[in-house]
Amino acid sequence: MYFRYQFGQQTAEVTLERSGEGFRALVGGVAYAVEVLDRQPGEISLRFNGRPLTFYWAQDGSRKWLSQGGCTYWLDPPAQRASQLGSEVDGSTAIRAPMPAQVRAVQVAPGDPVQRGQVLLLLEAMKMEIQVKSPAAGRVNRLLAAAGQTVDRDQLLVEIGE
Amino acid sequence: MFNKVLVANRGEIAVRIIRACRELGIASVAVYSDADRRALHVRLADEAVNIGPAPASESYLVLDHILQAAAAAGVEAIHPGYGFLAENAAFARAVQQAGLVFIGPSPEAIEAMGDKGQARAWMQAAGVPVVPGYQGLDDPAALEAAAAQIGFPLLIKAAAGGGGKGMRVVYQTDEMAEAAAAARREALHAFGDGRLILERYIPHARHIEFQVLGDQQGNLVHLFERECSVQRRHQKIIEETPSPYLNETLRAEMGAAATAAARSVGYTNAGTVEFIVDPQTGEFFFLEMNTRLQVEHPVTEWTVGIDLVQWQIRIAAGETMPFKQSDLFQRGHAIECRLYAEDPANNFLPATGPLLTFIEPSGPGVRVDNGYTSGDQITIHYDPLIAKVTAWGEDRPAAIRRMTAALRETVLMGVTHNGQFLQDVLSAPQFIAGEVYTTWVEEHFNGWQPPQCGLPPEVLVAAALAQLTPQSAAPDEHDPYSPWRTPNGYRVGQ
Repeated sequence: MYFRYQFGQQTAEVTLERSGEGFRALVGGVAYAVEVLDRQPGEISLRFNGRPLTFYWAQDGSRKWLSQGGCTYWLDPPAQRASQLGSEVDGSTAIRAPMPAQVRAVQVAPGDPVQRGQVLLLLEAMKMEIQVKSPAAGRVNRLLAAAGQTVDRDQLLVEIGE
Repeated sequence: MFNKVLVANRGEIAVRIIRACRELGIASVAVYSDADRRALHVRLADEAVNIGPAPASESYLVLDHILQAAAAAGVEAIHPGYGFLAENAAFARAVQQAGLVFIGPSPEAIEAMGDKGQARAWMQAAGVPVVPGYQGLDDPAALEAAAAQIGFPLLIKAAAGGGGKGMRVVYQTDEMAEAAAAARREALHAFGDGRLILERYIPHARHIEFQVLGDQQGNLVHLFERECSVQRRHQKIIEETPSPYLNETLRAEMGAAATAAARSVGYTNAGTVEFIVDPQTGEFFFLEMNTRLQVEHPVTEWTVGIDLVQWQIRIAAGETMPFKQSDLFQRGHAIECRLYAEDPANNFLPATGPLLTFIEPSGPGVRVDNGYTSGDQITIHYDPLIAKVTAWGEDRPAAIRRMTAALRETVLMGVTHNGQFLQDVLSAPQFIAGEVYTTWVEEHFNGWQPPQCGLPPEVLVAAALAQLTPQSAAPDEHDPYSPWRTPNGYRVGQ
């Protein structure tokens, strides 16, 4: 059985083969002996190369969360992230929300010329205000946010073109 | 004693106060916005009243909604928690005018300390040292003149503010106008008051605060200090007591200054006098007084052995404190870590999402003050604080080890949080040596990334095995030892 995940910018692969009472797992050319010790909803205990380890896991849409020993990891289906997060869209600069927030004010209009460092929008979340500034001089090609609107992290707000 | 108390707050502090009420045999009334319909504080309270839509400005910050809820529920007192209306003198006064008890100081004391400019003047009169600076400034010309007098770097902050909102450090003249405008905007938005204060900025300053508690009979004590120098964006993330910096002499001096500050405004109930300490000179300066319960109060409770929230309620009900200053001492060491829904690898910007799984740490000397449980949603409307983890140990190294173990045990999935960052801070040599200051996090953790940027193979294997349903993993009918053949194993669809 072959599994592939996206972990941040990298692709992670694992192959599982049944072996005796457990599995033989192959990760990056290295084989590990794995046995499932216990399985509860959202929790799986393994004997991993002789070492007992308990993992907590949860599913959020297509994203899989895992937690072990104070570290939290999230895995996505292969190569979904990369296509979402280009900063260039058709030769123009895409400006995305750095955090989930409510748009407090929009300080530019489509077609406006903008300077590098000019404040384009004000975002607010959890009582904190941040300024979204233009990374380059240019012109507002598209404006996709309005005051009062709620935006997700990495949502496209403005496109700055030549 | 009261029969019924309304808790005008949400999240972990509402839960904390509801628990104190329960222990005192008082019925608790929660209030909630539409976003908090199923929140933990609502589930734990004896009664709950809806006070409006999700934005705080339409629910938790609306005086009339809180007062109407109090009247409808027939409570005798209101506990404001921290934040929201806790330091709003008009609210405290309106509560009194409605014939109810405000669990906190008098409106006059809130007013005196709430305006930071005025508080500075009060403190100077009371002989409490203050940072050189200017106050209550409104027009840009006056600000620039004052800035020239103080010199750079300097600190701009909201006269009416707190919690780092509207606060900016300015390093040179040409940054003044924009910083002042942004500070004023944030201040106006958060407090409805855009007046600003300028102060000398002390690099590498430590933030050390003293807990005070006063009853209505005129008794007033301090419950020692809390070191709160580990901050990001002027907001505390780790607090501890005793401070690794203070010696007995300085502790006694600052404790005396804290009680003098509180006494000068006739302070009653729980409050906190914040100082900044210049580690170069050992000078300390009054920063502000928070006229309310503090987020980090558990570390004081751990070491002094006094339940601050219960005493807030008992004092408000007219009880006399049975302890004097000479009865109070600290035992051991306590640390608090604030678990925030935020991304330390992205400038600590807030994160939102579903709390898919939240498993609290436990064990000897570990306390968790939580506002959420698994299945709850973290939204953009409120504070990013998910829970506070506190640990007590016989001494500081023991407390640090216990806290580290507690954070390793914590499971928090579904929303980006600072759990790993906190563990990194706890293991930093400067933190272990107690040599931290308020800008230390900014300077030492700039560009921080999670320590294990790689994905350990065991995590990857666990992900695959978790995904594997028992049925899909049981291809071999001839294997009598397969774990999927055990008769009590769970199967999909059952």
